[in-house]
Amino acid sequence: MESIKLRKITSVWILAVFVLFIVSIVLGILMRLNQGEIIKQNSVTFYTNMTTHGLTMIGIWFVAGMAAINYLMERYVKTSYTANMIALVLTVIGVLMFWATTFIGKFHAGWTFLYPLPFKVMWATWATPLFLVSLTVLGLGWLIWSISLMTQILRKYSISQAFAWQHFKKNPSVETPPFILISMITLVGVIACLLAAVVLIVLFFAEFFSNGSFVNDALLMKNLTYFFGHTIANEMLYLGLAVIYELFSEVSGTPKWKTTWYVAVAWNCTLIFILTAFFHHLYMDFVQPEGFQIIGQLASYLASLPAAGVTVFSVLIAVYRTKIKWSLTNLLFFIGVAGWVIGGLGAVIDATISNNVVLHNTLWVPAHFHTYNAMGNVLFSIAFFYWFSTQFTENNIKSEKLTMATLTILLIGGIGFLLAFYVGGADSVPRRYSTYPAEFTSAAPLAVIGAIFATIYLIAILIFFFNISKRCLKVLSSPS
Amino acid sequence: MFKGIVLTIIAVWFTLIVNAQTASTGMEEETNIYEKIFDAPLHLSGEQQMTFTALYQQKPILVALIFTRCSGICSPFLLELKDNLQQTDDKSFNILVISFDPRDNLEDMNNMAQKFGLENDPQWIFAVTDSIEQLNQSIGFYPIWDNETGQFDHDALLVGVNIEGYITKKLIGIRKKHDLDLLISSVNNVFSPTYRLPNKNSLFSCFNYDPKTGKNTPGLGLLFIALPAVLTVLMLVSISYFVRNKSQRMDRPYSE
Repeated sequence: MESIKLRKITSVWILAVFVLFIVSIVLGILMRLNQGEIIKQNSVTFYTNMTTHGLTMIGIWFVAGMAAINYLMERYVKTSYTANMIALVLTVIGVLMFWATTFIGKFHAGWTFLYPLPFKVMWATWATPLFLVSLTVLGLGWLIWSISLMTQILRKYSISQAFAWQHFKKNPSVETPPFILISMITLVGVIACLLAAVVLIVLFFAEFFSNGSFVNDALLMKNLTYFFGHTIANEMLYLGLAVIYELFSEVSGTPKWKTTWYVAVAWNCTLIFILTAFFHHLYMDFVQPEGFQIIGQLASYLASLPAAGVTVFSVLIAVYRTKIKWSLTNLLFFIGVAGWVIGGLGAVIDATISNNVVLHNTLWVPAHFHTYNAMGNVLFSIAFFYWFSTQFTENNIKSEKLTMATLTILLIGGIGFLLAFYVGGADSVPRRYSTYPAEFTSAAPLAVIGAIFATIYLIAILIFFFNISKRCLKVLSSPS
Repeated sequence: MFKGIVLTIIAVWFTLIVNAQTASTGMEEETNIYEKIFDAPLHLSGEQQMTFTALYQQKPILVALIFTRCSGICSPFLLELKDNLQQTDDKSFNILVISFDPRDNLEDMNNMAQKFGLENDPQWIFAVTDSIEQLNQSIGFYPIWDNETGQFDHDALLVGVNIEGYITKKLIGIRKKHDLDLLISSVNNVFSPTYRLPNKNSLFSCFNYDPKTGKNTPGLGLLFIALPAVLTVLMLVSISYFVRNKSQRMDRPYSE
């Protein structure tokens, strides 16, 4: 059973994630309002906001997933409170440093900080090194946390058991819980992509300090950037899925999900393919070998299909003609899976080389990743937050009704906000433009529509925030 | 006391970081891109005076840096530029031929224009400036005077400046029409692909191009792409071995 200290630190994570999420949504709305010509931001402010929005969102939903699996993992193995605390402290320091580089130093190279952009200093001179240091601090904290959780799993399970290889055969002697399998698969992916970030940052610093005697290879840097960026953006979704496998049946009052041969095979395939799917970010790089492009397309299909297929199948089986106890938690999980699948399909469409020629760097890109994040992964995490907050506090009917109404607002806001992106993408409206030229006639109106619906989505998030944070604060103030 | 030492170390370290070289990559074509060109006062043929700003606000400009007493690359450089431009009917830009030699005057420049048959072409502007140092600095152009030869050691540099005064692209050396077209596209704010030239300081290239065979061979950089995955597997196996060995040792009954 989890300790009170773990409850408290999980509450802190939830509060921190919510606060940063709300600020980041506001930045996103401001960007859309600027694109819609409702407000006027100069281009530096726009790209500063874009950089802050992107990296903060990636960071918070990664740590939200990590906090959730850390909390639930205590059911199976003892986890390290120290590693959790180190990650929290370094995350706070890292975020403060990063925000200083953007809000004070005006660093605006985008969250992908593609080489050599950070060296084309168009901001305070100190912002580039501080940005790299902030990434180092964040990466270090998350690496320590991930390795610690992986170590704890390996204390109890051998490598083959942790990856559920015994389930490839009939009647396995030991059962690996699906939560452990998915957590393990995800942690390995997380560690790999964080190590890619380490190599990337080392190369950045090497060039930075070399006084021109060492220069990086742009192709290598872009590959490493997306090894890190694409992989972590996907792995954080899988952290949410691990939570679903653990909690969906529990809150629905149905039998606990078990690891079967196809679940084991699907997730092992996902581990391999997710680490090579990032090549699809380099389709437009003419110097990338054609073989890598083909691997990128195949891995994009093969990484998403097994995990998605098995999860959707499991969720559908769990709800089809089954009397289950619906609550906000499993409703959010259910809608989140739908959002994940729709966003995933959008991603696979974009990852197909023949489509990418048309959709590359259009609003289709933010459309698909906002779908599986804002209406997928975010919902997985909020489901966990809600479930967690109701574990230790009273849950009355009134608040349940309010949260159902909130869910409706969330859906309306989310769908409207995403449709504005999809329609823009299908109309070839480019992304990352602070203002649109007159030729893109639909771009500004769509941006305004997007901003309006995003504001509705924000209202729902604010209600969730007040509801859940009130309970988390109670957990924090409870005696140790 | 301890805090003071730590803070001092951090402050020194951070100052070093801030002062570290960020822009000097040894890639001259890539320096100063998207920076504003210095607003130098220009003396044009026909005794006209004009600032750089007034000139680029009329039309984007291609700036060719030469000196009239050059016995080396300046003449072939201008000749090739003229030949390449004659193949295109694009009048969307002007060409400013400017001397970086303080000894040159307007008469020298007019003679040079006549030598190339460009004195009556309104697209070509020949000029000198009193602020060549600042102009060179803003472009990243550093000619070196050689006393022995009585010549400047310099690159043949063509710089694209758009209508807002930003340097959009640079070409070093005598280049073919294709490269010139890319430069013209860039001053008109049309996207043009860019690439870095091979350099001995680039140690971890994914591919190494052999100009003799025209083929690419895999480079050290490819290993770096695989490195994170390899390290992860090693870490996984090591941790598993370590923790399971340790737990076995702890489980073993004490028999001595």
